[in-house]
Amino acid sequence: MDGGGALIQLAGVCKDYKSGPEIVHALIDVDLTVGAGEFVAIVGASGSGKSTLMNILGCLDRPTAGVFTLGGVGVGDRSGDARAMVRNRLIGFVFQGFNLLARTTALENVELPLLYRGVSRKERRRRAIEALCEVGLQDRLGHTPTQLSGGQQQRVAIARALVTRPPLLLADEPTGNLDTRTSYEVLALLQTLVRDQGITVMLVTHEPDVAACAHRVITVRDGRITDDSHNSQPVQARAQLAAALTV
Amino acid sequence: MLGTLRLALAGVWRAKLRSALTVLGILIGIAAVVVVTALTTGARQVVGNQIESLGSNLLFIFSQPTARSGARVAALGLTEDDALAIRREASAVSKVTVYSDVRVQVVSEIANDSIQVVGADASYFSVRGFSVEGGRMWTASEGLVKAKVCLIGQTAIRKLFGGVDPIGRFVRVGKHPFRVIGTLKSKGDSPFEDQDDRIIMPIGSWRSRVRPTSGRRVQLIMAKSKSSGHTAQAVRQIDGILRQRHRIDDGEEADFRVRTQEGFKKRQDAVFGALTALLLSVAAVSLFVGGVGVMNIMLVSVAERTREIGIRMAIGARKLDIQLQFLAEAVVLTLLGGGLGILAALGLATVLSQATGWEMPLSGTAVGIAVTTSLLVGFVFGFLPARRAANLDPIEALRHE
Repeated sequence: MDGGGALIQLAGVCKDYKSGPEIVHALIDVDLTVGAGEFVAIVGASGSGKSTLMNILGCLDRPTAGVFTLGGVGVGDRSGDARAMVRNRLIGFVFQGFNLLARTTALENVELPLLYRGVSRKERRRRAIEALCEVGLQDRLGHTPTQLSGGQQQRVAIARALVTRPPLLLADEPTGNLDTRTSYEVLALLQTLVRDQGITVMLVTHEPDVAACAHRVITVRDGRITDDSHNSQPVQARAQLAAALTV
Repeated sequence: MLGTLRLALAGVWRAKLRSALTVLGILIGIAAVVVVTALTTGARQVVGNQIESLGSNLLFIFSQPTARSGARVAALGLTEDDALAIRREASAVSKVTVYSDVRVQVVSEIANDSIQVVGADASYFSVRGFSVEGGRMWTASEGLVKAKVCLIGQTAIRKLFGGVDPIGRFVRVGKHPFRVIGTLKSKGDSPFEDQDDRIIMPIGSWRSRVRPTSGRRVQLIMAKSKSSGHTAQAVRQIDGILRQRHRIDDGEEADFRVRTQEGFKKRQDAVFGALTALLLSVAAVSLFVGGVGVMNIMLVSVAERTREIGIRMAIGARKLDIQLQFLAEAVVLTLLGGGLGILAALGLATVLSQATGWEMPLSGTAVGIAVTTSLLVGFVFGFLPARRAANLDPIEALRHE
C-alpha cells in the first residue's frame, strides 16, 4: 500500500445476475478510485446496486467483467479461498444487523478473525482486548451479544473488524438499527479511525445525515455511479453527539 | 487443530439435549458391537475349554449302522479286540481305550438317582484325563474277574451320598451291588455332559452286570495320537485296521466312523463364526442407524447456523475451515458415543458374565475396533453436512434469517 495512493480501483466493473430467464444488470461499467484514508459514503435507493457494489468491494462476490484492484493487487477474479484470505487480511466488515455470533462473548467474537489467520491463542486475546479498548468496551469483554445494547453490539462488531488492522473497513448501513444518539456514537468512532489510523471507510447508507459525516459521497442509481462529490465540511459526529446530549 | 476441536466441543455443548440424543444412537451401536465381540469370545472360550477338557489329540471311533444287507453276517459293531488291534498296529496312536455307558437308576443307602454308568478299561483315565482323588483304582485282576467295584464322580457323590464319604460303601445298579473303591477328581462340563455325574467300573463288569452284551462289544473306542501332527496319520491307520478286521473294502461304506477332537473344534468354530457374523451384522445395522442420526442432526445444525457460517466466511474463514468445524463436530459426537458405548459395554459384559458364569474379556481389539468405527462413522456421516456448510455462498448465508 503506497501511502496516499489508490487503495481501491474499479475499472469497467459489471455485475449481471440471472433471475429466471432474464439477466439483471446490477452494476454497469463502474469506475471508481478510492485512496487510503478516505471516508466514503455510498448512497442510493434500494435496488440501485449499492449492495452489489459493497459485495464486490468486500470480495464476497466476483464482478462479471472489469478489474478490481485492492491495495494494488487484482482480486476480482480470485477463487473462493483466496478471496476469503483477502477478506481476512485487508477488509473489516460492519453490518446493519451487527452479525455477532450468538452465545459467544464479545472477546471471543473479536478474536474470531485472528483464529482464521492462525494467530496464537495468547496473541489473539491480547489483540482482541486491545481492539475492544479502542471502541471503549474494556469492561464488557465477557458479555454475550444479548447482554449488550445495540450500540455496544455494533462497537463489538467494529472491534472485530479492526482487530486484524485492515486498510479497508466496509460498513453496510451500520446505523440502520440504531437510534440517533447511538448512530452518532458509532459514526464518531468511524471518524476517529479514519483520522487517527488512516483507515479507509466505505459506508453504505440511505440516510443523508449519515452520509453528511463522510468526506466523499457517491451516489449509485440503476447500476451506475451518477454522482461523486467531495464534502469539504463533513459533519463532526462528536459535535452532534455533544449537541444531542445538551438538549 | 486444537482451536477446531474447541470450536466443535462448544458447538456440541450448545445444543446439549440434541447432542445427547445423537450420542445415544452411536452409544447403542458401539456398545452392541463391543458386547457381541465379548460375548462370542467368552462363549468360544467356554466351549473351547470344554473340548479341551476331553483330553488332547483325541480320536473317537463310533460304530455306525450301515444300509448294507446281504448274505454277510450283520456288522458286529466295535469290540475290545478292535481296540487291541489298534493298540498293536497303529504306530501313530499312543493310547487306546474302550468305553460303554448307560444312564440308569443307581441306588445308595440314602438316595436313588439317575447316573451315567460307565464301563471302561484302565487306560480310559489317562486318555480322557480323569484321575483318582480318594481311594484307589481297580486292580488288573479285579478287571479280569469282572469284580463288582466302581469309582464315583463328584456330582454323583452329591446326588447319592450327600456329604458322606462314599469309599467302602455300596451302590446298586440293577440287582448288583458295587463297592465304591475310589472317587474321581472333578472335571467339569464337556460339550456333551457333566463329566462328574458318573460312576466308572471295569468294562467287563459293565458288560456282564449292567447291560449284558454279547461278545466283547463296546460302544466307543477312544485313541490318542502321539501328537497333533500324527492325528491325520492315526485316522488313516485306524480306518485301515478296522476295514480289514470288519472285512470292508476301500470305497465301501464303513460300519464305523472316526472323529477327531480338532474336527469338533472346527465345527464349533464354524458355528460360532456364523453366530458372530449374525450378531455383528445386527450391531452394524444399529450403528448405521446411529450414523444416519448424526448426519440428520448435523444437517439441521448447518441449516440453523447458516448465518453464523456466513459471518465466519465474511471475516475470512476458508471452505476448509468451515468444513473442518462441522466435521469435527460430527466426530466429537460419534467419539463421545463410542467412549460411552465402551463404558456401557463394560457394564453390560460384567452383568452378563455374572449371569452366565462365562468370562467376557473386553479385548483391546474390541475397544480399538469401537474407537476406529466411531471415528469412521463420524467422518462418513459428517462429511456431507460439512461439505454443504462449506459450499454455502457467503452473501446468501449472511442474508439468511
